[in-house]
Amino acid sequence: MAKFILRRFLLMLLTMFLVSIAVFLIVESSPGNVAKNILGAFITPEQEASFLAQSGLDKPILVRYAYWLVGSDWHAAQKINLPLKRLVTEKGFVEWWAVDEEKRLVRWELDGDDLIVNIRRDDGEVVKKKDNDRWRFADDGSARFWGVDRHNHAVLWEKGLDQEVWTFVAGTGWMVASGGPIEYIPLKKGFLRGDPGVSLRTGRPVAKSLMIRLRNSLVLAGIAFVIVMPLALFLGVIAGLKEGSFKDRFLSVTGMTFSVIPEFATGIFLILVMSHWLDLVPGATVFGEQAPWERPDMLILPVLTLTLVELGYVLRITRASMVEVMRSPYIRTAMLKGLPYHKVIFKHALRNALIAPITVIMLHVNWLLGGIVIVEVVFGYPGLGQYLLDSALYKDINALEAGAMIMVLLAVGTQLVADIIYTFLNPRIRYS
Amino acid sequence: MEQARNTETDPAKETPVDENILGFGPGLKHAAGILFSSKTAVAGLFLVLFWVLTALLAPYITQYTPTEQDWKSPNQGPSMEHPLGTDELGRDLWSRLAYGARIVLVVLPVTENFWIPGGTALWGVFASLLIGAGLGLFSGYYGGWIDEIIMRLLDAMMSIPVILLYLIIVAAIGASAVNVVFAIAIVGTPGVARLVRSLTLDIRTRDYVRAAETRGESPIYIMFVEILPNAKGPIIIDAMLRVGYAIFAMGTLGFLGLGLPPPSPDWGSMVAKGREFIMSGSPWAALWPSLAIASLVVGLNLLADGLREELTRYQ
Repeated sequence: MAKFILRRFLLMLLTMFLVSIAVFLIVESSPGNVAKNILGAFITPEQEASFLAQSGLDKPILVRYAYWLVGSDWHAAQKINLPLKRLVTEKGFVEWWAVDEEKRLVRWELDGDDLIVNIRRDDGEVVKKKDNDRWRFADDGSARFWGVDRHNHAVLWEKGLDQEVWTFVAGTGWMVASGGPIEYIPLKKGFLRGDPGVSLRTGRPVAKSLMIRLRNSLVLAGIAFVIVMPLALFLGVIAGLKEGSFKDRFLSVTGMTFSVIPEFATGIFLILVMSHWLDLVPGATVFGEQAPWERPDMLILPVLTLTLVELGYVLRITRASMVEVMRSPYIRTAMLKGLPYHKVIFKHALRNALIAPITVIMLHVNWLLGGIVIVEVVFGYPGLGQYLLDSALYKDINALEAGAMIMVLLAVGTQLVADIIYTFLNPRIRYS
Repeated sequence: MEQARNTETDPAKETPVDENILGFGPGLKHAAGILFSSKTAVAGLFLVLFWVLTALLAPYITQYTPTEQDWKSPNQGPSMEHPLGTDELGRDLWSRLAYGARIVLVVLPVTENFWIPGGTALWGVFASLLIGAGLGLFSGYYGGWIDEIIMRLLDAMMSIPVILLYLIIVAAIGASAVNVVFAIAIVGTPGVARLVRSLTLDIRTRDYVRAAETRGESPIYIMFVEILPNAKGPIIIDAMLRVGYAIFAMGTLGFLGLGLPPPSPDWGSMVAKGREFIMSGSPWAALWPSLAIASLVVGLNLLADGLREELTRYQ
């Protein structure tokens, strides 16, 4: 058993690894680029190059993958020759600082030919002073310096070579500034250490946004799950008790119908009926900071859509399992020896009939994830699916990779859990 | 998207079916008999036939072309001129629905002016059958490390949420009919490969395969001439179900903005666009394509379900 779990666990890691490589390669080899997607088609080549360099996208693909996976801070620390520290300020911003020889937190900016060091005191105040001793002179007379800039990059400055930097500020437009470095390494700890970097689209740390989105999605899925499971198991047992009866046919066909209609169509029908014509509940979700708690009534339609789609599937599995059990000889024996009907059902049939659905439900998470993505898009719900779709459309590689990993982890992880539960429910199963 | 469901609920997949039932010739009458003895199958057949006929006859039963705009009457309800109403650009919804069915079932628009027969969904299924059957045959016939590698890779692919595959593939390679076929094919391949592999493992031990090997036939000949035709029955049933899933997938991709680019009358994108106008009081543009895709998918499933039920009853 332990060996089996270990094997499956390794297979899961392998899957995640392959998916992460595949995502990188596909996004890399496809036409279009993230700069144009985010900044519009009318940016100049200089602006595009500057944006790509600042995002670290001018590096070779292998380097970028390594940075994404295990982080870039250790590599940058080697170049700077000082240890680096990541801290979160009181306002919630992530900042990277170098720790200098006197254990102070420092970073630099370039002003003309002068290197200015920013020293962060313990109370958060920043002191600036000239720091020209740090220039390293090469044989050809040029002076260079690897340091940390004020926007969480490790950068290489060259004295006298005032590069122009283009930055896009929302609301103001393009700003050009001098004092630019000739090479950037965006600092991040890497996916394996819980920091896949900042989203190229929003500029915010992926890990933080992703966690909020994941929580929202889990709330939605959790509520739907709590409603679907008892209902579907109950209806499935009812349908399976008497195979071929009117109740059975009605429940089976209705369940099948709802489970094969695409989620977006079900969602549209519900919006039209419940929101547009009957005006009972809001037809879209608009959340502020307090999502998803601030307007519980907005959750009704998304949950109902998921419920309808999932209900049919679990119902059919339960029904099939129940039908099979009811046909088995031991039920006939129980009936023939004169046990009361309810006793046969509750003591003998139900237990065996519910093994299959419970594990199949776990295996079904893969499918449920797809449903959630669509439902989130239909209702504008701020969940993982919507985030993933936006990231994919913008080729926001940091966010897309991290979101994809979470999805795979959820899907493969639940499959593993399902297998383990199954061995406990059904002692006849042995894994070698 | 549906293969997870498919592997669990589909008994026809596990039990090789008497080929005559789905074969041609004397079996056809038998198949029709089975079909008409199930009410749900007949209901499904009518729904499917309705859309197939609509798709085939689209140019003859519509007054307008699907892209003809009437800027004077956008977002209209049903009327004499427009039986189902118009969308936000004043395009006739019935024409768009009919031509949309055409894209799903009858033609695959490769470029704007060039199309090939066979619907987008059908091509998707066909492509996944082609790749899946090839991989499954190789894997099952050769066994050993080839089998191990192919199957582990396909297992890994199957464990990835299907929606993620769609998102990555189509978002990366861009939205077009051919790319939708490509996405449907990639997602469908592992399921087909598994089915064909299990059938190959069984058929490989038969005497006629031994005979062919003794005759000195090449492995390619044995795989494609001896094994594949004998695995036909279950593969055909599986393919029928897959058409339903492919239409489902097409709609979903279109809805996410990853389907056929505008102004193609793609059902999914019609819903996505029409959705924006529900709140301003014109639900028709979202309602009709949703109903269309729902009825077609339900029809196909009723048909397949009814057939399967009758088949298992005979066994």
